[in-house]
Amino acid sequence: MTDLLSATDVHRSFGGVAAVDGVSLAVEQGSLTGLIGPNGAGKTTMLGLIAGALKPSAGSVVFDGHDVTGAGPTRIARRGLIRTFQLSGEFARLTVLENLIVAAPSQNGESIFKALALGGHSWRTQERELVRSARELLDRFEMRPKEDEYAGNLSGGQKRLIEIMRALMAKPRMLLLDEPMAGVNPTLTRKIETHLTQLRDDGLTMLMIEHELGVVERLCDRVIVMALGKVISEGTMAELRGDREVIDAYLVG
Amino acid sequence: MSAAWQFYFATLIVYLGVDILAVWGLNVQFGIAGIGNFAFIVFQATGAYTMAVLTLGPPPVGSFQQYIGGASLPFPLALLAAGLVAGLLSVVIGLIGLRRVRADYQAMVFLVVSLIATSVVNNLTGLVNGPAGLSLIPKPFAGLGFGLVSYDWFYAGMTMGVCAIAYLFVRRLTRSPLGRAMRAARDNEHAAAAVGKNILGLRMTAFVFGGVLAGISGALLVAFIGAWAPGSWLYPETFVFFTAIVVGGAGNDLGVATGALLVPIVFLETTRYLPNFAAPGVVDALQWVMVGLLSLAFLWFRPRGLIPERRQRFKPDPATQRRPAPVLASGPAAGEKVGLDD
Amino acid sequence: MHLLVASIGFGLVTASILAIAAVGFTLQFGVTNILNLAYGAIMTASAFLAYAITTSGLGIWAALAICSVASGIGCVLLNRAIYTPYVRRGTGLFGMIIVTISVSLVVEFTLQAIHGSSFVSLSLPATRSYHFGAMVFTGLQLAIIAIAVLAMLCVHVLLRYTKLGKAMRATAADPVLARSCGISTGRVIDLTWLVSGAMCGLAGVVLVINVTSFDTSTGGEFLIPIVAAAILGGVGQPYGAMLGAVIIGVSTEVAAGLFDPTYKDMVSFVILVGFLLLRPQGLFAEIATQKEVVA
Repeated sequence: MTDLLSATDVHRSFGGVAAVDGVSLAVEQGSLTGLIGPNGAGKTTMLGLIAGALKPSAGSVVFDGHDVTGAGPTRIARRGLIRTFQLSGEFARLTVLENLIVAAPSQNGESIFKALALGGHSWRTQERELVRSARELLDRFEMRPKEDEYAGNLSGGQKRLIEIMRALMAKPRMLLLDEPMAGVNPTLTRKIETHLTQLRDDGLTMLMIEHELGVVERLCDRVIVMALGKVISEGTMAELRGDREVIDAYLVG
Repeated sequence: MSAAWQFYFATLIVYLGVDILAVWGLNVQFGIAGIGNFAFIVFQATGAYTMAVLTLGPPPVGSFQQYIGGASLPFPLALLAAGLVAGLLSVVIGLIGLRRVRADYQAMVFLVVSLIATSVVNNLTGLVNGPAGLSLIPKPFAGLGFGLVSYDWFYAGMTMGVCAIAYLFVRRLTRSPLGRAMRAARDNEHAAAAVGKNILGLRMTAFVFGGVLAGISGALLVAFIGAWAPGSWLYPETFVFFTAIVVGGAGNDLGVATGALLVPIVFLETTRYLPNFAAPGVVDALQWVMVGLLSLAFLWFRPRGLIPERRQRFKPDPATQRRPAPVLASGPAAGEKVGLDD
Repeated sequence: MHLLVASIGFGLVTASILAIAAVGFTLQFGVTNILNLAYGAIMTASAFLAYAITTSGLGIWAALAICSVASGIGCVLLNRAIYTPYVRRGTGLFGMIIVTISVSLVVEFTLQAIHGSSFVSLSLPATRSYHFGAMVFTGLQLAIIAIAVLAMLCVHVLLRYTKLGKAMRATAADPVLARSCGISTGRVIDLTWLVSGAMCGLAGVVLVINVTSFDTSTGGEFLIPIVAAAILGGVGQPYGAMLGAVIIGVSTEVAAGLFDPTYKDMVSFVILVGFLLLRPQGLFAEIATQKEVVA
């Protein structure tokens, strides 16, 4: 299988500290790959570099055959690489339903001419469709009763669900998930896991930062381990359990 | 009603219409798109000056007024031109000020742009006659045989008509997916970019839309009062509009219109006619004190304003029959309806 | 050439006034991250207090002392009564701009309501002129420069050698870390506003010593050059602010002397906008990230 995403020798420092220090990784198309490592390993920074929120000082990132190194987040998202945020990712003063429908790509209602109805009311039909799809998603994640709630008023776990649902509304070819289960109760976690597995089976590629190793073991086909800004190991969870370096990193980090 | 009272009310209605157009413009920029445009008054002034120099004839030699233009255009054409020129200026100033800087720095950038504009106009006297400003600006449709009082009522009606047309556009923008995308960019720029929104494009669109409204507002104002000088558009005037928005309700079209009614009109215009209980100028100074206190009070007690931004609700699906959820490994069997309390 | 050197002389006086003000501004901004746009209005208030003091017979030195202390205390109260409560309520960076501008309107126009819009002057002793080559200074102007130098030395001693100074630098660099090191950030913030306010008040008096007459908008007109000097030098960098004051003070006067006096303000405007957009960290600070407001 081909690699949908590959990063080669990516570097990024903050104030003299190398947060990402020569990381190369690849994510196979159709896989659910995990990215694990102790705190401060540089996982979220790496995600930001891939998603275009940060510019690497060196190295390259290739997505779907295109070099996206240093491209901004907007262009990368439009190519179908969608990321979620660990903290404060929601649109606080939009309702839950609005949070979802705003994420859909290629909305003709977003052109100024169509919006002012100078080109006819063509966006209403599309919006109705988006509302329908969004409501389906909300039903699946059991958030439908909250559809008119301001996203800023939700609990932490509910916000994580919004992140995932919104990312799905953006019609992704690949998802970059930043700790999608953080703060979510165990029952809901299981449901999300099921849903993610389903998505993977349907062909969606995913790279997921997760610190709970049980989740990683259940979901991930392959796992990449980072520590102190570098990749120290990769493989299946079974392989990694026996890897000395990985164990050391987790004990020390 | 005596002629004096009629003049007064008709004038108030004109000012109200002008201020409503202005706050709608600033509301799109600030309430919806989150841009703290402290140079707003410059765009209203641009519309005013454009109307002035386009409807005036060329400056006669040796005249007390020096300015560019002088095309003697009819009012409707000049009105559209005023909006256009203000829109173009918005593009230029937007390219300068809409970069990614922290919100208070951005406010300062716009504030200084406002000061620069005032300085330039004051110093380049050949442009629009510098500190003395322009006067004798022709009244539109004056030749249609109106009496003095009925002309003012006509103008008030015309201003309200322009407001009604503007409202159509403002309302459509606010409720459209474009308005929603602007609000998303306002709430969380990084998350909006992460779902593919072009942040600069959204902000520039809001900025220009607001600028055009400001220009039309200025044009209507100047054609009514017939004169315009830098003293009419110093940077604190922008603050009055911000106060109107804070009081009325940022993000809500009716809210900010209410703010325009309450702050510049009820609060400021009507107090202008209070008997001078003290030395001249005290009332004016106290008005500014009250504007400051109003802002502080509302930011404290009711920061969302009197009529806050409304949440958009969508009509429920006509069919209550919900499709069964797709097969999940540990969920209900295929074909079973999924209820809300599962 | 003669004109250029003379302009530089004027520039040094302006720079001295600016330096006092800008250092006060940047110390507070560096620690609390609040852009206090009421700073100019407070300078005006201080100037009018000095006017009241000098016309009642007390000398200018008494005015300088009283106004500095009064402004210092006033700013501590301003922060405690107004700025901090708004910040605690969740007012963000832009909201605080509205708050500080509101305060400046209230201060400036209350002054105007009380005093009116007429121009006044401080009654000052006449002094002779001193010539240094092409530069001319009155005795008062030399005193202003001396006061500024003294103030800068005091700030230097404060920051380098006192516990408060070190605590201020630590809080400015990283308030959370400072708090966890046991620094009482609340007290540091109070004292920062005290020092900043005192310098604001001192600058206000010194400003109007140097002009023939002033009114209720004089301080406000100085606000942009002050912020420009502070931003140019780098947020929270007092030595940077001193340099910024010299750059802006001298270039403003030189531009006015050599070119067009009506464009004097443009220098500060352009410098401020340029730095805010292109190099917001100024010449000497690290990249200014969107820090939280500290109250």
